[in-house]
Amino acid sequence: MFDLKINVNNEWIERQIPDGLRLLDFLRNDLGLTGTKEGCGEGECGACTIILEGRAVDSCLVLAVQCHEKHVTTIEGLETEDGLDPVQQAFLDNGAVQCGYCIPGMVLSSKALLDANPTPSEDEIKDAVSGNLCRCTGYDKILTSVKHASEIITSKTNDDDLKAGE
Amino acid sequence: MSEFKTVGKRHRRKDGFDKLTGRALYPQDMQIEGMAYGATVRSEKPHAYFTCDTSVAEKMPGVVIILTAKDVTAMNHHGVLFKDHEVLCEKKVRRVGDPIAFVVADTEKQAEAAAKAVIINYDELPALFDPVEAMKDDAIQVHDGQSNILYHYKCRRGDVDKAFEEADVVVENTYYSPFVDHVFLQLESGLSYMEEGRLVLVASSQYPHFDRLEIAEALGLEEDEVVIRNPAVGGAFGGREDITMQIHLGLATLLTGRAVKVTYSREESFYAHSKRHPMSMWVKTGATKEGKLIATEAYIVGDTGAYASWAINVLRKAGVHVPGPYEIENVKVDSIAVYTNNPFCGAMRGFGATQVPIAYEQQIDMVARELGMDPFEIRYKNCMKKGSMTPNGQVLVESVPLKECIEALQGMMEGADAND
Repeated sequence: MFDLKINVNNEWIERQIPDGLRLLDFLRNDLGLTGTKEGCGEGECGACTIILEGRAVDSCLVLAVQCHEKHVTTIEGLETEDGLDPVQQAFLDNGAVQCGYCIPGMVLSSKALLDANPTPSEDEIKDAVSGNLCRCTGYDKILTSVKHASEIITSKTNDDDLKAGE
Repeated sequence: MSEFKTVGKRHRRKDGFDKLTGRALYPQDMQIEGMAYGATVRSEKPHAYFTCDTSVAEKMPGVVIILTAKDVTAMNHHGVLFKDHEVLCEKKVRRVGDPIAFVVADTEKQAEAAAKAVIINYDELPALFDPVEAMKDDAIQVHDGQSNILYHYKCRRGDVDKAFEEADVVVENTYYSPFVDHVFLQLESGLSYMEEGRLVLVASSQYPHFDRLEIAEALGLEEDEVVIRNPAVGGAFGGREDITMQIHLGLATLLTGRAVKVTYSREESFYAHSKRHPMSMWVKTGATKEGKLIATEAYIVGDTGAYASWAINVLRKAGVHVPGPYEIENVKVDSIAVYTNNPFCGAMRGFGATQVPIAYEQQIDMVARELGMDPFEIRYKNCMKKGSMTPNGQVLVESVPLKECIEALQGMMEGADAND
């Protein structure tokens, strides 16, 4: 057993866990955060993508113990008091959601990209979501949504800069 | 024109918000206090008689019940068109992955461990993997006492033999399309429990009303004693039209009173649900030197694997569509569905209409090449329009904008040589 201290969605949590526990199972079963999905269990589909210390990773390939004293963001952690994250909002507005099973992972891969690079090229977007399989949409509206989210974030930043300059 | 509320307007998907925030619940996201877990024992042989020994597994820690064919309370069969699937195989398996036993235990790990301890002794039979072999008179029967030829669709219009004699160009080829899996992203998962004396089944399905009927029939319940709850469905594409674990779960809850859950792994999912029918398609096409298509003859063999599922509808649709969307006066089509010991095939996006364009469109290209004709022109000249009659006799009375499609494509492909 291992005494795990982990920050999930901006909250520090301490739990005793088995050494071999996957981060995916810790999130879903121990914390009840079932927004993180399992599609293959071997790092092929990306449905279990979460953000670990700023990077999008497959939570089925990470042990919970590897996240000791680290920050994890799941889909449940994106909404704020102001509403949906720009990535979520853009996916909703552009009709990028169909069956929805890839969506938490897809959104978090996009979010990790935009946090690091708010104005990605189309190739950079494709590269960022290349580990997330979607069987419904054909990806077109997903790419549109990430571009749209980039616009929302950039215009917000500009607004904030303007306000700061006032 | 009156203003529509919905048509022409952008609408947000109703379940979009829940799916974007992690609130949407798929069966694997649900828990019921005190529930047990199921694990399915599946055939490792494609064709065999077998005996099943559960005595060791029954004594394993945490085991609640191990279900086999003898436990099915009313009818050990299900299937969308023919009831040719067994809920749990009784004495013969017809494909790798056929369910033989359903183990229920207190934890998932215990159920998996006990499932491994179920001993199956196989008495192997010759297995059929090639549908053409399976059609032979002396081929072993996949379903005992029943021909392997499940269905034969025939379409006859005009006189193809005479038309081929008159044709200036005749092109003849055989095309093959493979098995395809839907690979919907959400793995099969389900829960069952009793609620106010009724059996509740939670499973993502394309066919909840029919699932209810099949579960009720197999278990010997009235339909209104079974409740189907269809939560978020993580993709389906035809692959969730057939029953997978629903009756296993229902039976386990009915016999034990316990809530039971099962979730398949990706590997098990591939074994559990249907595939797209692979087809071999022999097609012969005749045209005049002016580029008028005058005859199509086709012989299609579709491999439905061990079970029929929607084979009849799929092979019929393939047969209806194989002449393509072209006006052809003389048509002869035979489209045949055959049982083999391969994975079973059923619905998948297009239902048989998806396989045949590989054949008929290449045929048209080859006819065009023989005639030195532009591939657009030959399609434009022959394509169906309002008022055309399909080979099986349907007059198309509305919305046949093929010419417009071809014109639009021609503009977009200007400068490209489609023959290259």
